[in-house]
Amino acid sequence: MSCTLGEVKNRADLIIYWGGNPAECHPRHFTKYTIMQKGKYVPNGRKGRTMVLVDIRETPSAKAADLFLQVRPAKDFETLTILRALIKGRRVDAAAVAETGLTLEQLEDLAHRMKTCRFGVLFFGMGLSMTRGKHMNSAAALTLAAELNAFTKFVTMPMRGHGNVTGADVVMRYTTAYPFGVSLSRGYPRFNPGEFSTIDLLVRGDVDATLVLGADPGATMPQPAIDHLARTPTIVLDPKVTHSSRLARVHITTAATGITAPGTVYRMDEVPLPLRPPLSGPYPSDEDVLKRIVAAVKRKPAWEPAGV
Amino acid sequence: MLTLTLKESPHVPLEAEVISPDVVANLTPGEVRALPVLLGKRRCRLDDWFDVDGDAGDEIEVRGDASKVKWIGRGMTRGRVTVVGNAGTHLGAYMTGGSVEVTGSAGDWVGGEMGGGTIRVRGDAGGQLGAAYRGSPSGMSGGTILVGGSAGIELGMRMKRGLIAVGGKVRDFAGLQMKGGTIVLTGGAEIRTGAWMARGTIVSLVPLRLLPTFAAAGPYHPTFLRLYARHLRPLGFALPCEPHEGAYRRYTGDAAVPGKGEVLVWQPA
Repeated sequence: MSCTLGEVKNRADLIIYWGGNPAECHPRHFTKYTIMQKGKYVPNGRKGRTMVLVDIRETPSAKAADLFLQVRPAKDFETLTILRALIKGRRVDAAAVAETGLTLEQLEDLAHRMKTCRFGVLFFGMGLSMTRGKHMNSAAALTLAAELNAFTKFVTMPMRGHGNVTGADVVMRYTTAYPFGVSLSRGYPRFNPGEFSTIDLLVRGDVDATLVLGADPGATMPQPAIDHLARTPTIVLDPKVTHSSRLARVHITTAATGITAPGTVYRMDEVPLPLRPPLSGPYPSDEDVLKRIVAAVKRKPAWEPAGV
Repeated sequence: MLTLTLKESPHVPLEAEVISPDVVANLTPGEVRALPVLLGKRRCRLDDWFDVDGDAGDEIEVRGDASKVKWIGRGMTRGRVTVVGNAGTHLGAYMTGGSVEVTGSAGDWVGGEMGGGTIRVRGDAGGQLGAAYRGSPSGMSGGTILVGGSAGIELGMRMKRGLIAVGGKVRDFAGLQMKGGTIVLTGGAEIRTGAWMARGTIVSLVPLRLLPTFAAAGPYHPTFLRLYARHLRPLGFALPCEPHEGAYRRYTGDAAVPGKGEVLVWQPA
């Protein structure tokens, strides 16, 4: 369950950031969309909103928060699961709660705030989705927000990392029905993260060639994945020299989208934003290069034996 | 018996759901050799990758390191598949009958959404054993999976019925969102066992670290476990259930769902 940032600005009276540091990583988030603005149904602006930060350490974002809850590292899934029990009025043993680094009173207070707000929003960051438990931590946040809709309006939104991650998800979704981890090897889309997601494919060595588009796996992925990229033919389309392009067999320099090439980016709330390039440059756009590769592949003779 | 010997390990996964008694049983040797397998997106013949010997029937033996061969025994309803070596992902997925045996280790999704039959892995198994596929409401709905070694994450995720027994240690989220059935862990588990379970039973012979949403409900001598003990003993799993040996501590949960699942942890006397 999600919404646009405009709705957050105009309606949200409870804003929770979980496992993220927007003050440093999304610096305009507070001021443009979430806590500082006056909204149509939040006429008092900052005074009309409550901001809660849940994180493993006190980051600069804690200064902006009304309530800061410090959980122990890798205890997010437990904390979210306790909250799911508390909002349903289930009793949870206070001694068992201690392992999360928070007290039962703190969590009961948070559960009460979540249930009694008019419009709540839970933003979760990489501190949740990239620690032990991974997709299940995100699933816990999404399920909690979905269940809160039995009491009030509650939405959730991931705080995305660098690059146009949301755009990749949206386009994959409207072309294949799945956001990521899709295999088209049988001619129709199959979705199975863990089997078809990039890191897993590379770590297991299940691919024999890689095309990298708008990403730098050489800088972000685990070492076994990078080793496999270096071992097999890798093609990188990027405006600049990156860690991935250094280990690639082929690097095609492309125009920088938004600077010398037009395009569309998706904001974190999936609102598409068109880009008009202010400059012109000598390099082709990613789209041009891919179209020419597809046309060249079509000209190649079919590899399938006739009659199969 | 049909014997398939892998000529060389494929460098990318080979999808071979045709390795199933239901597919090969009534085929001539020539037809078996021509069965399609997929190497990446390339369609190959079965005999491009395997030496095919013997007559097709209800018994198939696969030899060699088939750890990149996916979907062996997919949807089988009868017969017997033996893998002498390792097996790849989705071994015995959707099967409803017959038996699969692996002498080595197997990949992820062993017995994914199976409905019946028996899978036995002597070595280690990967994650999502007997689990529901992504987006699917329920995992295995019957049958038995036995693993001699360890198993990976999300063991028995959303399983509805059936029995999973693991000799070694399993990783996080065993019995995740379980709806029924029984999981026996003789080697213990890492964290978050039974997370979000609604019903079903997890038996552990080693102390577990459970989620705070599980509540202790005292010592317990369940009668039904004697039945499981008798069933599992000849299969190589010893379940203690005599009162003089100790007792099971019963934990109920997961309160977050809220669920009526139970986790039984053995405590020797």
